[in-house]
Amino acid sequence: MGMFDSFYTSASALTAEKTRIDIISKNLANVNSTRGTGGMPYRRQMVVFQEKKADQFSNYLSSKLNKVNNEGVIISKIVEDSTPFKLVYEPGHPDADENGYVKMSNVEPVKEMVDMIDAQRAYEANITAINATKALLMKSLEIGRK
Amino acid sequence: MIDNLFSNTNILEKALSGTWIRNKIISKNISNVDTPNYKRKEVLFEDYLKQELSENNQKLVTTNEKHIKGLGMKSEFIPKIIEDKSTSYRFDGNNVNIDTESAELSKNVIMYDALVRQITDEYEKVKNAIIEGSK
Repeated sequence: MGMFDSFYTSASALTAEKTRIDIISKNLANVNSTRGTGGMPYRRQMVVFQEKKADQFSNYLSSKLNKVNNEGVIISKIVEDSTPFKLVYEPGHPDADENGYVKMSNVEPVKEMVDMIDAQRAYEANITAINATKALLMKSLEIGRK
Repeated sequence: MIDNLFSNTNILEKALSGTWIRNKIISKNISNVDTPNYKRKEVLFEDYLKQELSENNQKLVTTNEKHIKGLGMKSEFIPKIIEDKSTSYRFDGNNVNIDTESAELSKNVIMYDALVRQITDEYEKVKNAIIEGSK
């Protein structure tokens, strides 16, 4: 249990939320991509958050020392959205099939926007937490100064 | 007398460390606001501290020096961390409410400030006594 553990906890969340925003940007950039991997259109990607736990040894050690383990959050994996591709009728498109339909990516801009706001707010909340921790630490430096 | 000099500070110190751990746990809750199936954690220490203090005051009256005088305060004070598994109001099984956590965080900062001020005052008193006594 170090002095700056709370900072690391909040910082891990900042990293995770930033990665989430990166993925959202990637999705939005590829909203009209008809050529992704394997000849298929672009598939929307999602991040999976997971509570970060300490390894077994430090868990055991801190339980014996009556200390708190504080680890924060990590992105365990980035997965692809399996919802079907949108079919758009556009016979002139180079990727259109014999019936004139084009398979478009399964990104929904509205969904991405909402996700982005959520990520932004969560980022702000963690910044607030960092500032609070900082205020606490600065205050403790004042003990016995006078 | 010198034993009692810092007795108040010792109590405040314990409260301070409890508040610090609470700050950690709130940071943890906020950082896991989007983690599926994460349940919020809470620090309980005020009631325990109060209990310890009242036990400390309730020293038993003894008629023989071999009698047990009282329980006294345990030297090690460990705040309790509990996980709130009872509620779940979101589809992802997470029960962190960002508004509640922010409020708790602000409250905690103020509490910490107050405790630090008290400790500083406590030291000030001792210092005053030393300085004024030497005049």
